[in-house]
Amino acid sequence: MTSPDLIRELQASKPVAPDALRMRVREIAPTQAVQLRRRLRFSLPRPAFVLVPAAAALVVAIGAAGVIGLARSGGSGDVAAQNAKAVQHGVAGGSTRTNPAVLGPATTTQEQAASPPQVLGYTGAGAAVAPTQGRAQDVQATLTVKVADSDHVSKAAQDALDLTRSLGGHVVSASVATGDQAQATLTVRIPVARTQDAVARLSALGTIVSQQVSIQDLQERLDALVRRARSVRAQIVKITARLDSQQLSPEQRAALELRRQSLRSELRSLRQSIRSTGSEARFATIELSVVTPESQGVVPAPSRLDRSLDKALEVVVWEGIVALVALLVGAPLAILALAAWVLRRMYRKHEEDRLLATS
Amino acid sequence: MIRRRRRSGVHAVTIGALPRGEALAPSFASAAETCLDDVFGYLLYLTKDRPLAEDLTGATFETALRRWRRFDPRRGTARAWLLAIARSTALDWFRADARRRRREARVGVAELPTSDDDALGEGFSPALESALRELTAGEREVLALRVVLELDGEETARLLGISATAVSTRLHRALGKLEERMRHDDVA
Repeated sequence: MTSPDLIRELQASKPVAPDALRMRVREIAPTQAVQLRRRLRFSLPRPAFVLVPAAAALVVAIGAAGVIGLARSGGSGDVAAQNAKAVQHGVAGGSTRTNPAVLGPATTTQEQAASPPQVLGYTGAGAAVAPTQGRAQDVQATLTVKVADSDHVSKAAQDALDLTRSLGGHVVSASVATGDQAQATLTVRIPVARTQDAVARLSALGTIVSQQVSIQDLQERLDALVRRARSVRAQIVKITARLDSQQLSPEQRAALELRRQSLRSELRSLRQSIRSTGSEARFATIELSVVTPESQGVVPAPSRLDRSLDKALEVVVWEGIVALVALLVGAPLAILALAAWVLRRMYRKHEEDRLLATS
Repeated sequence: MIRRRRRSGVHAVTIGALPRGEALAPSFASAAETCLDDVFGYLLYLTKDRPLAEDLTGATFETALRRWRRFDPRRGTARAWLLAIARSTALDWFRADARRRRREARVGVAELPTSDDDALGEGFSPALESALRELTAGEREVLALRVVLELDGEETARLLGISATAVSTRLHRALGKLEERMRHDDVA
C-alpha cells in the first residue's frame, strides 16, 4: 500500500465522536442558538505588546513632567519678583544703590540737603532732585542705564559726552568697551545748577537700571573757612599796624614778624581751601554707566513657558535617572527571569517531544 | 477526571486569521458541534485510547468554554483554537500519567495492561490499525492533523510549535513507517 492509498484510507475512516460524548459536550455548551456579535477587542500585533506599554510609560512620564513643570513654574507675580531680584543682584554693586522699581518718588528739602549726605533714588528721569540754590553742596550722582546692544553703548557714551559739554561741564574720565561685554563708564562734572537737567537727560539715554544721588552740604565748612580767613586777615592787619606804629624791642619785633608770617601762611592755605571747596560745590560729579543686558550679567527673566519647560526637563531628567537605576537594578533580575522562562520553555518542549516520541 | 496543570499559551495560537473587521464569531455551541469530531479524532489518534480520548475531549470543551471570551476569530479559526486546547490538555495528561507511572514504579505497583481493542477509525483494516498503533504519538498526531483533519502545513506547524519543514519531515516519516509496517504485514 502506497502513501496515497494510506491517506485515502485514513481520510475515509475519520473518527466520529460517540453520541454520549456529543451529548456531554452539548450539555457543556451554552444553549443559546443566537450568534452574539462579540465585543470587538482591541488586538495588536505581537511587538506592540512591548512597544505600547513602553510608549504609554513614556507618555505618562512626559505628561507628568509637563504637569509638574507647569505647576512649579509659578505665576506672573513671581516673574516680577524674580525680575526685581535679578536687577538687584545683577546691578547693585554697592549697598547704597537703589532700585528704581522699588523706591517711590523722592523729595528733598533744605533740611534733607544738610549733612550727613543724603542718598536718594529716583523713579524716572524727570524726577531728579535739584541741589539747594545758594548753598555750597557736594553733589554726586551715579546712573546706570541699559541699552539694547553694543552699538547703542557707543552712541549713548557719545551722547553723554556731547550733553556734558553742552551743559558747560567737562569729562573727568571715560571708558567705553564694545563687543560682547559692551559697557561704558563715564565720570563727568556738570555745573551744580544744571545737575537736575543733566541727570534727567542722561537717564533718557537708555532704560534706567539704577540712579543714586548723594548731596553733602559744604556750606558750613565753607563758612568756617571764610570766618577763619577773616580772623587771620584781621590778625595780620593788627600785627602789621603794631609793627609800623609802636616802638618795639628787637625781640618783640622778631616775634611779631614770625607770628605774621605764620598767619599769612595760614591765610594762603585757607584761601586755597575756600577756592577748592567753592570749586567742589560748583560742579556735580556724575558717574554714568551704560550697560547692555549681556554685560549687565542679568539673564532676562524667562517666560512661564520657558520655566515650565525647564522644570519639565528637570523632571524628565530625574525620571530618566530613576528609570536608569531601576533598569540597572532590575536588568539582572529580568535577565534571570527571561533565562528561567526560556529554560522552562525548552524543558517543556523537550518533555513534549519525549512524551510524543512514545507510542 | 483530567487535571489540567497548564492553562496558558493556548489562546495565543493564531491560525488562519479572518479578514480584518470580521469579528463575527461562532457561538460556542455551534463551534463545539462543528468541531467535536475533529477534536475527538485528533485526541483519539494522539492517545490511541478511545475512553481517554472521550475524557480529554470533554475536558477540552470545558476548558474552551471557560476561555471562550478569549477566542478572537481574527486570530484563527475556532477549530484551530480548540485543537490547540486539546493538545495542551492531552500533553498535561501525558505528563501526569508519566509522573504516575514513575511514582507507581517506585513503589513496585505493576502497570495495568492498556487496552488496544478500541479502533482508531471506523473501517480500518486490522493491518492499518496495527501499524498506526506502532507509530509514536507525535507521528500519529501529525497524521491526524495533516491527513485526517486536512490542516495545511502552516496551520499544523503553528499548532505543534515547530516549523513547516519539520511538519513535512515528520509526516513523511510517519507515512513511510506506516507503509513499511503495512508492507511487512503483507509479506507476513
